[in-house]
Amino acid sequence: MIRDFKPSVRRLRTLVLVGAVVCTATVMLVVVGTSSGARAKTPTIAFISQGTSNSWAAQLDAVARKTAKAAGVKLVYFNGQGDATKQLPEIQTAIAQRPDAIVLVPLGQAADTGPVERAMSMGIKVILCDSTVKTNNYTSLVNPNPATAAVPLAKWLANKMHHKGNLLYIGGLPGNATTILYDQGFNQVMKQNPNIHVVNGGNANYSISTAKQLTATAIASGKTFGGTWGVGGEAVTGIMQAYVDAKVANIPPNAGAAATNGSLRLAIQSHIEAAMLQFPPADAKVCIETAVKAIKGQTVPKNINISALPQYGNLYPPLNRYYKPQYSDDLYVGTDKVLTHAELAAIHLTK
Amino acid sequence: MSGAADNLLRRTAAPLRRRAELAAGRRGALYALPVAAALIAAVLLVILEPNFYRPANLHVVMQQFAVLGLVTLGQFLVLLVGGIDLSVGAVMNASLITIALMNQHHGHLVASLAACVGLGALVGLANGLLVSLRDVPPFAATLGMTAVVQGAILVYTKGIPAGNIPSSLRPVALSGVGIVPYSLIICLGIAVVLIFVLRRGTFGRKIYAVGRSPEVARRVAISTTYVRVVAYVMCGILAALAGIILSAYVGYVDPQIGGNYNLESIAAAILGGVAFTGGEGGAIGALTGVLFLLVLLNVVTLSSLSPFAQLIVQGVVMLIAVSGFQVIKNRSTI
Repeated sequence: MIRDFKPSVRRLRTLVLVGAVVCTATVMLVVVGTSSGARAKTPTIAFISQGTSNSWAAQLDAVARKTAKAAGVKLVYFNGQGDATKQLPEIQTAIAQRPDAIVLVPLGQAADTGPVERAMSMGIKVILCDSTVKTNNYTSLVNPNPATAAVPLAKWLANKMHHKGNLLYIGGLPGNATTILYDQGFNQVMKQNPNIHVVNGGNANYSISTAKQLTATAIASGKTFGGTWGVGGEAVTGIMQAYVDAKVANIPPNAGAAATNGSLRLAIQSHIEAAMLQFPPADAKVCIETAVKAIKGQTVPKNINISALPQYGNLYPPLNRYYKPQYSDDLYVGTDKVLTHAELAAIHLTK
Repeated sequence: MSGAADNLLRRTAAPLRRRAELAAGRRGALYALPVAAALIAAVLLVILEPNFYRPANLHVVMQQFAVLGLVTLGQFLVLLVGGIDLSVGAVMNASLITIALMNQHHGHLVASLAACVGLGALVGLANGLLVSLRDVPPFAATLGMTAVVQGAILVYTKGIPAGNIPSSLRPVALSGVGIVPYSLIICLGIAVVLIFVLRRGTFGRKIYAVGRSPEVARRVAISTTYVRVVAYVMCGILAALAGIILSAYVGYVDPQIGGNYNLESIAAAILGGVAFTGGEGGAIGALTGVLFLLVLLNVVTLSSLSPFAQLIVQGVVMLIAVSGFQVIKNRSTI
């Protein structure tokens, strides 16, 4: 249907339309101009996190945000949703925004390699946080080194077992980079202890319930274990919980873990001698601070081994030095040194 | 349903029933297959892995059976009506989080258990309505629901589930009569009721009718929507119960607690002779499938093989079992 308007109405409509276009263009120019100005002044870090998935990631994110705020940098958050395939497009989006630096928690060792190299070729500083990729073409790698940190833990356990007897091993996630590193350190020590018989209890896939079920089966088999080894905090928690529920009188010493308040609580309450490795989310502070230094043009180390820093070293008995009864089981050792009580309460870590 | 419709159902179903009775012997042999396989396995276990029969080990297997058994019974109902439910793991996670959070806020245990069951029913209702009324494929509907439930958990907990499992709940999984845990008694009690309903009740006949042919079922005035929705609601409730029992067993707030149960429950039901296409299979078969899976896992763990070899052995044995079952099934239907 053709609608015929009077010339005066048509002119008015044209004027309104032109006015709207001019206003929109002006507003857009102001916004773009302001943000360009802001970008020129405030350095931007794209923080591509593991994302909303578990308590470790939640603490990592909270520490990263606080550190960025304190350093006066703009932190743009990208959520990996705990999945390498979901994180990949987030990395690509982050690169497209051309930040000054990227702090990446890689979930896909191989998949993330290409985007990291592309970002570097575009002049973006790339800080790898808590895991690595398959290239040396990055600015800095901030990472606990389970391969070296696991060695003294495995030696401690072998000593506790007097270098003989059955050792129950509950694995992590097959093929996972961290699991491989844990295993390297563990196997290195066990090769030197031929009288320790390592009994494979299976892979817990970083699940407490799977670790508990596997350990319960191993205990029920009638074998006696002189020690237990768990890859990851979940495995160790499952191992301890299974021994407690099975009402075993003398629970064997345990090593492994990523030290959490929960694994510390179980060890202390159940009188289990345990030694733990740290995989601290609080190291996000080091990741962000390294990125800030790199943006400012300062020299940063290619590799920062978190496990070698005194505050992130292995934990040995007596463990009550590290346990914080006022916080929940999910608190990782060291997070409370970076975040205040109120900040911990905001992420459900207080009791 | 009205009396006339009921008569129509009886008249139309009669020839089908006669045909079914003719094939009953063959089908009986078919359903007996998993039971026979389990018995053979039991004899082999005495020879190959005598530790399996230690009371402590049997207790562990029973504890695990109760959880997977409940989820599989729910999955079995949904498979019977030609559906599939990929949200059972998410419902189990949600149950755990609900119990832990209500415990933290000093909620009464009975109230938190009721909340879990209600939540499971609600998820099942949503699944059922999506599948029945909106014709969303069951795979997509329940996968979408998984994302919704998991997302809601993350939004509420901010990735950090607070609270602890109440100690008063733990005996459900850890204590029992002799070596038989209470959780297994609950699971078997529910299974008995389900078997009775499916074999003797009108609703059981309707479930099988909807699964075999929704068109025919509609013609005999069966509300396929109602039957499907009830199947999904029951599945949600049973998944919530399994989540409660697993929480009691693990005793720790693990937000990924239901992780593997989606696929394990489907695998157990299929191993037990439940058809993917609907309308075929029984609760006893499904539970035998559960037993098969758990015994396999247990024996492989007891064998202390390397974790990689364990996976291969599990996979090969499952493939042999399923293909063997399929060969015998095809022969019995010729």
